[in-house]
Amino acid sequence: MSGRARGRARGMARSPVATEVGRLFPSLRSSPPSIALIDNEASSSSDCARTSRISQKCKCGISSSDSGCTSKERGGKVRRDVMDLSVCTREKLTHVRDCKTGSSGIPVKLVTNLFNLDVPQDWQLYQYHVTYSPDIESRRLRIALLYSHRELSNKAKAFDGVILFLSQKLEEKVTELSSETQRGKTVKMTITLTRELPASSPVCIQVFNIIFKKILKKLSMYQIGRNFYKPSEPVEIPQHKLSLWPGFAVSVSHFESKLLLSADVSYKILRNETVLEFMTDLCHKSSVSCFTQTCEKQLIGLIVLTRYNNKTYRIDDIDWSVKPTHTFRKRDGAEITYVDYYKQQYDITLSDLNQPVLVSLLKNKKNDNSEAQMAHLIPELCFLTGMPGQATSDFQLMKAVAKETRLDPLVRQQHLARLADDFQRNKDARFELETWGLHFGCQMSLTGRIAPAEKIIMQDHICHPASAADWSKDIRTCKVLSARSLNKWLVICSNRAESVTENFLNCLRRVGSPMGFNVDHPKIIKVQENPAAFIHAIQKYVKYEVQLVMCILPSIQTSYYDSIKKYLSSDCPVPSQCVRAQTLNKQGMMLSVTTKIAMQMICKLGGELWAVEIPLKSLMVVGINVCKDAFSQGTMVVGFVASINPRITRWFSRCILQRTTAHVADCLKVFMIGALNRWYRNNHGLPARIIVYRDGVGDGQLQTLVDYEVPQLLSSVTEASSNTSPTLSVIVVRKKGMPRFLAETGRNLQNPPLGTVVDSEATRPKWYDFYLISQVACRGTVNPTYYNVIYDDNGLKPDHMQRLTFKLCHLYYNWMGLISIPAPCQYARKLTFLVAQSLHKEPSLELANSLFYL
Amino acid sequence: MECSSVVDGNVEEVPSKKVIKFNPPLYKQRYQFVKNLVEQHQPKKVADLGCGDVCLLAILKYQKCIEELVGVDINEGRLKWNGSRLSPCVGDHLDPRELDLAITLYHGSVLEKDCRLLGFDLAACIELIEHFDSEDLAKFPEVVFGYMSPAMIVISTPNSEFNSLFPCAVFRDSDHKFEWSRMQFQTWALDVASRYNYSVEFTGVGEPPTGAEDVGYCTQIGVFRKKAEAAEMAVLEHHGEHVYEVVYTTSYPSLQQINYRRRVVIYLVYREVSRLRRKYQVSLRQDELEAEFVASGNQTGKFTSGLPVPVLTEDDKAMEMAPQPFCIEDKFYVPLQRIIAYPRLGHLCGNVEKLREFLGDMIELNCDGSAVKVDLNDCSDF
Repeated sequence: MSGRARGRARGMARSPVATEVGRLFPSLRSSPPSIALIDNEASSSSDCARTSRISQKCKCGISSSDSGCTSKERGGKVRRDVMDLSVCTREKLTHVRDCKTGSSGIPVKLVTNLFNLDVPQDWQLYQYHVTYSPDIESRRLRIALLYSHRELSNKAKAFDGVILFLSQKLEEKVTELSSETQRGKTVKMTITLTRELPASSPVCIQVFNIIFKKILKKLSMYQIGRNFYKPSEPVEIPQHKLSLWPGFAVSVSHFESKLLLSADVSYKILRNETVLEFMTDLCHKSSVSCFTQTCEKQLIGLIVLTRYNNKTYRIDDIDWSVKPTHTFRKRDGAEITYVDYYKQQYDITLSDLNQPVLVSLLKNKKNDNSEAQMAHLIPELCFLTGMPGQATSDFQLMKAVAKETRLDPLVRQQHLARLADDFQRNKDARFELETWGLHFGCQMSLTGRIAPAEKIIMQDHICHPASAADWSKDIRTCKVLSARSLNKWLVICSNRAESVTENFLNCLRRVGSPMGFNVDHPKIIKVQENPAAFIHAIQKYVKYEVQLVMCILPSIQTSYYDSIKKYLSSDCPVPSQCVRAQTLNKQGMMLSVTTKIAMQMICKLGGELWAVEIPLKSLMVVGINVCKDAFSQGTMVVGFVASINPRITRWFSRCILQRTTAHVADCLKVFMIGALNRWYRNNHGLPARIIVYRDGVGDGQLQTLVDYEVPQLLSSVTEASSNTSPTLSVIVVRKKGMPRFLAETGRNLQNPPLGTVVDSEATRPKWYDFYLISQVACRGTVNPTYYNVIYDDNGLKPDHMQRLTFKLCHLYYNWMGLISIPAPCQYARKLTFLVAQSLHKEPSLELANSLFYL
Repeated sequence: MECSSVVDGNVEEVPSKKVIKFNPPLYKQRYQFVKNLVEQHQPKKVADLGCGDVCLLAILKYQKCIEELVGVDINEGRLKWNGSRLSPCVGDHLDPRELDLAITLYHGSVLEKDCRLLGFDLAACIELIEHFDSEDLAKFPEVVFGYMSPAMIVISTPNSEFNSLFPCAVFRDSDHKFEWSRMQFQTWALDVASRYNYSVEFTGVGEPPTGAEDVGYCTQIGVFRKKAEAAEMAVLEHHGEHVYEVVYTTSYPSLQQINYRRRVVIYLVYREVSRLRRKYQVSLRQDELEAEFVASGNQTGKFTSGLPVPVLTEDDKAMEMAPQPFCIEDKFYVPLQRIIAYPRLGHLCGNVEKLREFLGDMIELNCDGSAVKVDLNDCSDF
């Protein structure tokens, strides 16, 4: 793309018409980033190699500043997660309107990561609207003029260019001030009181968040994304070229009865590697013929950070035809080479004059139809960010990062204590809090309850596991509930893996018989080491009566796994089991590896492993998960897994791809009716109760869920039967909550015991919600799972709802122990993951009765 | 790259009424002028008196030679609000400067003496003096030339002769107390210069349009240089008061700071070692890869020729002399002598002892501490 073309694109984006529209309809605010932190924009001052030009007319008349424009649209926007908080679901649930807390279980004292934030009883926030005469577009100038005015200089204030918040009321309802620009032009500012807000208002919450952002900046932290990081104390992992910046995620919010600040330790992963270095390395590593393709494949889509300002860009393309010695047109119209530009602007000398340029499409904030704008970036001046692409498979790297970032409870607490100390001791921080009339209080403690341990029911044995975290040892010699024998099956392996395979088959038979799983000798097919050979063998040998296909894969290359799964999940639906040859080679691990594989195979054949005691006699539990497809951006994958027997050991699994970007499921009615039919066939009646656990909910979607998904489920339930239809509960499950709970044991702090429930103080007043810790964190601090009951016809007591949820966390057959979310959710998660990562199409309905995706 | 805010804060620079437009805009030309002076004279300590929106400081902070940058202004709110523009960015931490840089913004009047403004190499007073009434103007030389007495002072002010080209004949700015002709400015400047023992040269920015060359530059500039070097400097040092209030202060990470230097050294060593190891691995598989490797040399030249080639050729001369990397069993060793021969590391560490000290326990050495030891086959390379 030529400089001229880019110039055109830019010109259109800045057309006066677009600006006017923004001004005429300030109420038509689209999606929300929060009220900006006012001194946010300040660092974006210096210009960079913008390859375009703005017309002079634009520059003076209707100033062209992006920031000016957004400021008009900005005021009073509410963050998505804050939006959720205003959805009142509890008031409709009569049985918990007065009390939503349970009482059973052993009490346990817990320390939280929540801090009291005290606000005087009569505290109010005053919201003003500010207009300028003559009007000024530039947000920075608007703010600068207001801030430099004597009248306001000593007051606590937050201002985004349009809306001004003060903690003290101005004398007059309308105040007129006049200020002079640096160049002496007089500007009149009219400040009109529009609202007086109590501390509980959502707008106040946002202002509190802005205040704390300001304070964190004053503590020399850097904002990257939503969180703040300390560059002064980096953790270096030089062998992987990574720097970890410690920092905090901080947010102020209204919890059950008061305003609290939650703070959690967070690490930002930065890479000490420029894009040029990365390219050079890649060039040495990869073969030449495909260098450009490899490069594009690895780089496009990554986020880079520029050397000379704090901006991040997404790499959308690489322009191999443009070199640093080429020229571009600056905003003022002058032609300059990239080399000269960076020398002049930033005193940076480029070392490689042959590097290509990276192309980034700039987001069009105004959402009009103009062409996207592009920026050219020099690889040498761009740092890579985030984890390297192949990192997740690089065990050493993951281990190194985990070692530094997974803080155990005590260390985490020390970090938090230091932050709290900074808030209280730092002069600027204290001043800021005081001028607003806020008081940063102490860390909150509360009492949780520990649900009793569960028994694991096997075929002819009930076992009390020594640890609920892992009962693999306890059930080693027990028969599983039911297992079909495996008579007709295939094993496909490479020539090299022959002996490994034989070993494994022997072991499988040995492991299988005490479990009650009979395995006959399979037909073994030896093939060449390439994905096509595997698929070819499968196509040739898999016939209808084959019960299961096992593939011993020679490498972790996803192409094997993806193509095999794709073929055997939809084109020719047969349960399949893929194992890496390397996994079967681990000495001393053979027994446990084989046991796990055997269990997966039993499930894939439709067997049941274990159960827990479920007091409700006719209960169906459902897990729903929604996630994005890995390839096509506009596609969502919806997974639905429902239990189809009262014991909750057999499952019906459906998955669909949905063409939309919203994390909202469309097809729940079809799925629910399908599950109810299946239940009816198996149990000759409908379930009395249905409890749906909904996972994969994004911020700001709660209202949509209530308005859109719950009715779908309800209508399918009521239509299912003419007389008494099942009663329904819908629970939103979230794993990424802010609160953390730590148990005090003497002087030490530990993760709370399994089964710890918290249903007070850290919860929300408008919701029927609770936290449950149902997993162990072997390293680091456990993250409690958050449950929000948004619909509940079942009227179970909170105690029972909590206990039942805990029981369901025991039923995930891929792990002989407790997991962090209810089993149906985890099944749905596993299913959507398989579809989103490997299949990219719907699995066949024929497999719906088995856990084929384990 | 976003640069939307360039015009912000300077919107009024180009009122639509004016017939004459400068390209680049006049205010940018003034900043450019100061920047050029900095590039030419390489001052270490630079002050911007009347720094306003800190635009000039934000430009100068990229100059490698500057170690101390100070802004003074009477508008506190504006300084507070703009301060964060000067803070180091994430990249400054990842790739630190060579020299230290401290930036401080003071709230105060240029007409007051503060000893923290002593000993500067350059003081810029851009479009400042015309805002002084006659009383202040009289005080100004005594403070800036007499007291602060920096090695170089640059003063810019409007040239009133140029105003005849503008449609309205009043001052360019309502706060201007005067606008001088070239004669008036030069008379004042020469007088001040002679009183405080400075030399002065006159120039300007904003070329007049063709046909009106006789009006001179739109902005006239005087560059003052101190004649006798600082005999009395020592006397003045740190005797005065601290009158100004610090509104903002920051310091940049730099290679002068041992933790940053150490970090950079470690990353460079890792890079260099893995480069050598890769070379070694390639040579092991030579037969297999020879054809391809030769080809790669040509092909990659298309974009990285600039990088590997100078690194290799320049280094190789020095490095041929240095001990070569070697391999024992599955370990690969690079002698520290070889690493230090790499110019950048040589520059950062000076000698092998220092290098060893930097590496500390971050990088494993062989038993006598003379070479870096790594696994020959590191999975991350594949």
